[in-house]
Amino acid sequence: MTYWRARSNTLVLLACATLAGAVAARDPAWLDIAIAIVINALVALSVGLTFGQAGILSAAQGSFAAIGAYTTAILTVRLGWSPWLALPVAIALPAGLGHGLARLVTRLAPLAVALATLTLSAIIEIVLRSWDNLTGGYVGLAGIPSVFAGQPIAFYGLAVGMLALAVLAYENLMLSRFGRGLTTIRGDRARAIADGIAVPGLLSAAFALAAAMAGAGGWLYAHYFSYLSPGSLGTELSISVLLMMVVGGARHILGPVAGAVILGVLAQLLPAQEVQGLFYGGALIVILLVARNGLLGLVRREGTL
Amino acid sequence: MGYLAELVVRGVLLGAVYALLALPMSLTFVTVGSIDFALGAYAVLAAAVGSTVGGLAGIAAGLGAALAAAVAMAAIFAGLKRAGVEEPITISLASFGLAVAIGSLILSIWGTRAFMLHSFDDVWVMLGIRISPQSLINFAIGMLLLALVYLLLYRTGLGRMMRAAAINPLGAELSGIPVTTLQTGTFISGGLLGGIAGLLILFSAGLDFTAGLSLTLSCFGAAILLGAHGPIRAFLGGILMGVVEALSSGLASGAVSAIVPLVVIMIVLALGAVGGVRFAGDRP
Repeated sequence: MTYWRARSNTLVLLACATLAGAVAARDPAWLDIAIAIVINALVALSVGLTFGQAGILSAAQGSFAAIGAYTTAILTVRLGWSPWLALPVAIALPAGLGHGLARLVTRLAPLAVALATLTLSAIIEIVLRSWDNLTGGYVGLAGIPSVFAGQPIAFYGLAVGMLALAVLAYENLMLSRFGRGLTTIRGDRARAIADGIAVPGLLSAAFALAAAMAGAGGWLYAHYFSYLSPGSLGTELSISVLLMMVVGGARHILGPVAGAVILGVLAQLLPAQEVQGLFYGGALIVILLVARNGLLGLVRREGTL
Repeated sequence: MGYLAELVVRGVLLGAVYALLALPMSLTFVTVGSIDFALGAYAVLAAAVGSTVGGLAGIAAGLGAALAAAVAMAAIFAGLKRAGVEEPITISLASFGLAVAIGSLILSIWGTRAFMLHSFDDVWVMLGIRISPQSLINFAIGMLLLALVYLLLYRTGLGRMMRAAAINPLGAELSGIPVTTLQTGTFISGGLLGGIAGLLILFSAGLDFTAGLSLTLSCFGAAILLGAHGPIRAFLGGILMGVVEALSSGLASGAVSAIVPLVVIMIVLALGAVGGVRFAGDRP
């Protein structure tokens, strides 16, 4: 019982997602939106972990999701693997890349790290576009096998399950000494070094965990929409999830998830796809000015996760 | 050898535009300790408005639009400052939001079409190297603005206050220098210089709504390539960035030529160009 009392975020998420799923199941269009929101939430959670806890502003989470998605797409379409067999690879590859990138840049200033991630995501996008015989280039990859084809409610359950696992892992991390180390690093890096925390190592590990979450989100995307092109994930998603995180509240574990839900639902009311950036960017600025700790920061006490 | 020389010359002339954007980038970086991600978006906005209105009025309207966007960024910065935000990363994040909003605005008004105007049809040949007159104009305007910024920073009282605010904000504040006002002004000057750069690109290579972020990235690379110390290094960094881009696009094929400038930025970042304690979020 005490175990779950300390991990209330996972329970809150499961309760809300079950309720939302029960409502959304009445209409296939709603269920489609709900699944897209859960996938976005998983990537947004990863950016929440890197920025909210580790203090690294990553503009590459969408690209890590793209790597996860392309990995599973190439393994299943070109090599005929089962999607389930490809899942660990789609998680491990972004995690490894994220770890390598983080080892390279985490000793630098936060601003430099943000720009390095942005540069990396630009490089990844060019590679995806131009490596024709592997990624399909501009045309993309079609015919990715669906998981739970024809049973969107089962896929919704799977996506929520993966999101809940990610939230649980995030919560466990924050309750451990590593999580307290991250909090110290964000507050005062000099203090963290003096305390004997291996700052680059810990930040890289957190970054790798976040990249793994994004990779899982990419896997879900690939096996739900069955089609991938360089534009499906990548920079645009990186930016969207950053905005979701800020709107929901970066410091709270469920903040990015709440942001994904709020922006995902409100985006349905927009007249056209083109104005989405205007709405997202505007929301980000207003939230930063009015409620810097995000919407969850308004309802939760300072310091609670 | 002649081809190589032509590439270098072309790169220097292309770099003048990056240099123009690198100037405000390094100014913001030094006086605010932050980055205005919307710089590239100002350039695109100026080009979009300028190409629609056309003529001299178009140039004025384009500059006006870029300035208006930069004033919005300055207001956001002042608002954040008033709300007690000090972390540079939060200010960068807000400018990121503005960049996204401007990009979306341009997309919804003008669509995906490219903005491009031609000023000259003929190409001059000097010592066997083909040069477009427009790129010479770009270079001249770049040099002129560099000279103006240099004189402003090192020969005027305002410039002395800006440098003081950059080196020691608290000390400058205590000496009666209006630090926040100066920083706000720096953001606005970014709109002016960014707008001019956008118009020059409009008359040379052209650009579309997606160019904003990559322009920001290129001119950031330019600003830090030789270290963020003063306008001259930023300008030379821009020229160097142009040469790198021209050489890689002339000597390598499509994808590789697009990646090389990015890899250069990565290397410069990894070498710790932005790693100064002042920006590290460490203790002051």
